[in-house]
Parts: sequence; C-alpha cells; structure tokens
Amino acid sequence: MEFSRRALLKAAGLGIAGLAAKPLLDVLARPGAAEAAVGMPGKGTGRRWAMVVDLSACRQSDGCTVCTEACHRTHNVPVLGNDKEEIKWLWTAPYEKVFPEQEPEFMAEGLADSPVLVLCNHCDEPPCVRVCPTRATWKNEDGIVMIDYHRCIGCRYCMAGCPYGARSFNWRNPRPFIQDLNQDFPTRTRGVVEKCNFCVERLAEGLLPACVEACPENALIFGDFADPDSNVREILRSRHVIQRFPELGTKPNVYYVV
Amino acid sequence: MEERQIKADQEAILLEPVRRTGRTFYTTVTILVALIVVGLVAYVNQYRTGLGVTDLSRQVFWGVYITNFVFFIGISHAGALIVAVLRLVKAEWRRPITRAAEVVTVFALLFGVASILIDLGRPDRMLFLVKHAQFQSPLLWDVISVTTYLTASSIYLYIAMIPDMALLRDRGGRLGWLYQTLSLGWTGTSRQQRRLDKITNFMAVLVVIIAVTVHTVVSFVFVMTVQPMWHAAILAPYFVAGAIFSGIATIILMMAFTRKLYHLEDYIKPIHFNNLGLFLLTMALFWFYFTLAEYLTTVYGNEPTQMAIFWSKLTGGYAPYFWAMFVLCFVIPLPILAFKKTRTILGTSVASVSVIIGMWLERYTIIVPTLTTQRLALPAVNYAPTWVEWSILAGCVSFFVLLYMLFTKIFPIISITEISEGRERLLAESREGAGSHASQAAPGMSTTLEL
Repeated sequence: MEFSRRALLKAAGLGIAGLAAKPLLDVLARPGAAEAAVGMPGKGTGRRWAMVVDLSACRQSDGCTVCTEACHRTHNVPVLGNDKEEIKWLWTAPYEKVFPEQEPEFMAEGLADSPVLVLCNHCDEPPCVRVCPTRATWKNEDGIVMIDYHRCIGCRYCMAGCPYGARSFNWRNPRPFIQDLNQDFPTRTRGVVEKCNFCVERLAEGLLPACVEACPENALIFGDFADPDSNVREILRSRHVIQRFPELGTKPNVYYVV
Repeated sequence: MEERQIKADQEAILLEPVRRTGRTFYTTVTILVALIVVGLVAYVNQYRTGLGVTDLSRQVFWGVYITNFVFFIGISHAGALIVAVLRLVKAEWRRPITRAAEVVTVFALLFGVASILIDLGRPDRMLFLVKHAQFQSPLLWDVISVTTYLTASSIYLYIAMIPDMALLRDRGGRLGWLYQTLSLGWTGTSRQQRRLDKITNFMAVLVVIIAVTVHTVVSFVFVMTVQPMWHAAILAPYFVAGAIFSGIATIILMMAFTRKLYHLEDYIKPIHFNNLGLFLLTMALFWFYFTLAEYLTTVYGNEPTQMAIFWSKLTGGYAPYFWAMFVLCFVIPLPILAFKKTRTILGTSVASVSVIIGMWLERYTIIVPTLTTQRLALPAVNYAPTWVEWSILAGCVSFFVLLYMLFTKIFPIISITEISEGRERLLAESREGAGSHASQAAPGMSTTLEL
C-alpha cells in the first residue's frame, strides 16, 4: 500500500494538532480562572473565604501559641521535633522575614523581630495549583486551595511554586508522631504534601476555623469576601491592611493589620 | 581483491569486542555491579523509610536527585548534536563516533527519568502522571518531551544499526536469532538503502528539534516558578548550551575509554578528539558568556532577594561549590582546549572529566542556593547530602556505564556500515581524480591519509 509522502504528512500533522488541542488550551487558560469564576459572587456557591490577621491584637510576642496548637491538634499534624522535617500549617515568623521588602531602615523598635502569624494564603491565582502535574491540588468553589492526599505523588513542585513557603512535606511516616489523634480528620501517609485547608471540614458544619475560634484575643477574623457586609470586608474598608508579596500577582486572601 | 581484504580485516577488528571478552571487562563489570548494589540498598532504604533519609528539608526540598535529573538529561544531548547535526552538515569525521554517541543518549535519558522517579514521595503513584495528567504543569511538558526524545533517539539508534545487525546475522554465532529478528530482513538492496537514508535524514532533523525543546522544557520546571534566580528567561538557552557542553564531554570520555579498551586506535584517531575538543571549547565559551550575563544582570539590578542568593554563591555557604564549578567548567578546560598542542586524547579527556564534574556542580548551584533564600520566611537550614543520595548517584552513573559496556558486547560500538560508506565515498571521489579531497578524514584507512 503506497501512501504518498504528502498525504502521510498531512494526516500526521492533523493528528498531532487534534491531540494537542485540548492540552494546549489547558496550558494557555488562566490558572484558577475556571475555579475563580465559580467562586465569584453570583456563581456556584459564591463564597470567597478570606482571613485577616490583626497584628495589633495578636499576642504572639508573649509566647502565645494557642492558634497553632488548636490547628495542629485538629488536623493530626505530627510533632517531629526538628526544623528540617517539621510539618507546620500555621506558625509565626519574624516581621522582617514575612514582609522583607516593607522594612525601612529605622523602623519602630522591636517590630522587625515581632512574630507574625503565617499560613497558606489561599491565593486567587495560586502558583502552586498550576504546577501540580497530577491536579492533586486545586482551588475549590469556595476559594480554598485544597490537596487530595490520595492523588499527590510527592514531587514537591507545589512547594517550589509557592513563594510563601506555606507547604510541608511528609519526609517519613507521620503517624507515630501524632500526639493527640483526632478521629474525625484523616491522617496522611509519608510522601505527600500538606498545608492549611482553612478548616474546610469545619466550615462544612458551619463552624469557624479552629485557629480563629481558639484565639483568646480575637485577633483572627475569618469571613466571606463575596458578602459585602461581612466582617472581613468591613475591616478592609476601615483599616489599612497589607499582604505578603502582593507584587507577585498571586492575589492572596490573607490580609494583615499591622 | 585488496579492497575486500581490507574490508574483512576492518570488520574483524570492529567485531572483536562482540566476539571476545577479556579479563578487564569482567573486573570492571564487577566493580560497577558492586556500586549498583550499594545504590540499590540505599534506594530500598529510602523506599521503606521515606525521603527523610536524605538531607532534604522543608526548606531545601529539591537537591541531589533533581540535580541528577537535569544532569543526565543534559548528557543525553550528546547524541543529538554529534549524530544528527554532523550528519546534516555532512561532516565525514563523525562516522566512527555516531553509534557511541547515540547509545550514550539513550542510556543517559533512562537515568534522567529514573532520577525523577527516585525523587518522588509516592513512587507507587508514578502512573498518575499519565492518568491524571495536568498539562498546565511544566513537569508534564517534561514527561512528554523526554518520552518523545527517548522514543525518537531509540528509533534513530535502531534504524542506524539495521545494516550492521544484518552483517552479524550473516556471520552466525550464538546471538544469531537476535540479529535475525532485529535486522528485519535487510538484504542491502539499493532500494532498501535509499529508504533507510531517507528515514535517517528525517529522524536526524526531528531529533535535533526535539533535543532543543527537551532541555528548554527541563529549564522551564525552574523558570515557570517565581523563585528568585529561577524565574529568569536566560535559564532556557543556558540549560541547552550546558547540556550540549556536558554531552560532548561525556562523548569524549566514552570514546577515549572505548578506544583504549577495545584497541580501536585505527578508527578513533586524534583528529576526532581534536574536533570534539574544538566543539567543547566553543561550548565552554558559550557557557562562560551565559554565566557572565546571568550574574552581571543580577549584580547590576541589586534586588535584595536575588543579591542574597548571589552572595551566598560567591562568598557565602555555597562559595566552595560555585568556585569549584567555575574552575572545573572554565579555568581548567579552556587552556587545555585552546592550544592544539594540549588538545590531544589525554588532554581532551582530562578537560572532559573536569567539565562533567563542573556541570554537575553547576546544576547543584542553580537548584540549592535559591531554596535557601530568605523570602520563604523559614529558618535557614543547611543541606548536606547523605550517604543515601551519594550512593544513588554512584549507582546511577555505574549502571549507565554498565549498560554502555553491555551494549558493546552485543553490537559493534563503531558503525561498520558508516565506516564502509565513508570509505566508498572517499574511494569514489579519489577515483574521479579529485586530489583536493585527500584532506578529508577517512576513518578506517590506515594508509596515506594521516591527519
């Protein structure tokens, strides 16, 4: 059977173009655009969960760790005891590290070292989501960046994508290191990535996130950006807020009142 | 009559490694297998306990394994350049080295892929890369392009071997059944020959295009993040140039060993090392140019996060790696390769070893210092690879060399058909009385054409 070379090349070209069409459209789609459209007001459930951390009310400088403990206890986060392998969903870091480019030379005393609470920002344009090769992480319809622990292959590309260092990896089996097992939340295996999930399981029951509820100073304000009358929208209207690395275009949903 | 005799002698020498195996071979294989076993033990340890047996951490989560990945894929560019480009520009001196170069390509790619799989936290889920592929991810682009490159290179290697396998089939021997199957009924008719030429030329063009995309896509894994010093457009051509650089060095080294071990001095001559050495020199200069461009723009821009990484490389914790890389990639090879007097087989081999180690360090200093940047609001940690990581690297390199050596035992490492073709072409030209063609390299002719 004799094909002319021309016919073969035409068929091959069309075949490749056909196969490449969908993947190409995927690549060129704005990351998170589909999910963001669903999360925007008026579409899907229409919620946009966000958090404001009031640094003036937060007493982390007095050694308070109530929020971190509540979070880690609720979610079976193991206590590994060393800096290298530790898993943390919510923790504090010095101001100069959290906002490195907003640090004037002669700033207020003690501010540079004061502890700032950091967590996953659940960005509107998450750089971690678009680099995951298996779609184990995605932005759900309420704006929460989720992880499927059963699909994650542990390549850690999402950790490279996140400019905030919000994600942790299970370098070994975490189960022996969980101090107080919460039967209502799954544990993870070794080899997968995890991070703050805005307590999606508590939100489903109408509860506030564990850290927000636990804070004795009410320094954490959690609400729905899609609702113009929500507490978080009120704070943004009335007080000056800053974000971590806004210039990177990730559109984080965690704000800080300094 | 004399021509036939020369041809028979030539075949005999080239088929010698396939026919006989000496003691040196067995000794080398034993050492390599020992190293591979150490690597396997290390990997099993890692598979059972988790990636925590390495010195990777929450902050430095990519290290030796990703370095190995980029390094091996880089080396695989040897084949594309030597074989395909030289064939397309009709450089006759390529003939004795084409097969070795393609073999290096195919096996290096295998270990590039292996390195990424070794790095996965859940390797049992590796097929999710196919089943749940997300095409927005540069890692997926990697999967596609590396698979395509591996397929194309394997096909290219195979079709070039068909006439040789027909030769081996006709000679009989213990692996006759293998050669019979693989030679696909090749009988050397001019029609078959023409077809083979057409396909080979087409594959050559394809392989060159794919090779450039492969290492560009590998660089995109880093470029598409927003990490300082990774999110730089220059990384794409930098990686391609670096890949060709390390690829040629590997070829030179493999050729030097092959020549020595199998007594192929009549086929692999100083001229080949001279030409490859000139190629290596060109790539060294390209490498220097790209490195200079990258660091000069960083310094002049003076952006805090980038400068933190810059200083950690030049004077800080990563200074030993950075300066070792610079010396090995540039300071040592440049004088050796620049002067004809030192551009000998030994000289180019020394330069190649230097370049290979230097390029491994180059990948390392691209990946690790950025991960220790202060932007991530994490405490500074050091990264000192453990025995597991070094063993796996040693195991991969040993396995690569072992596969190459096993190949030389089953198939001729120098393409007999290519050599014959070259000789026939030269004889045809000289019969036409074109004396000026005497300056072309004629591998296999041990007569008057000394270069």
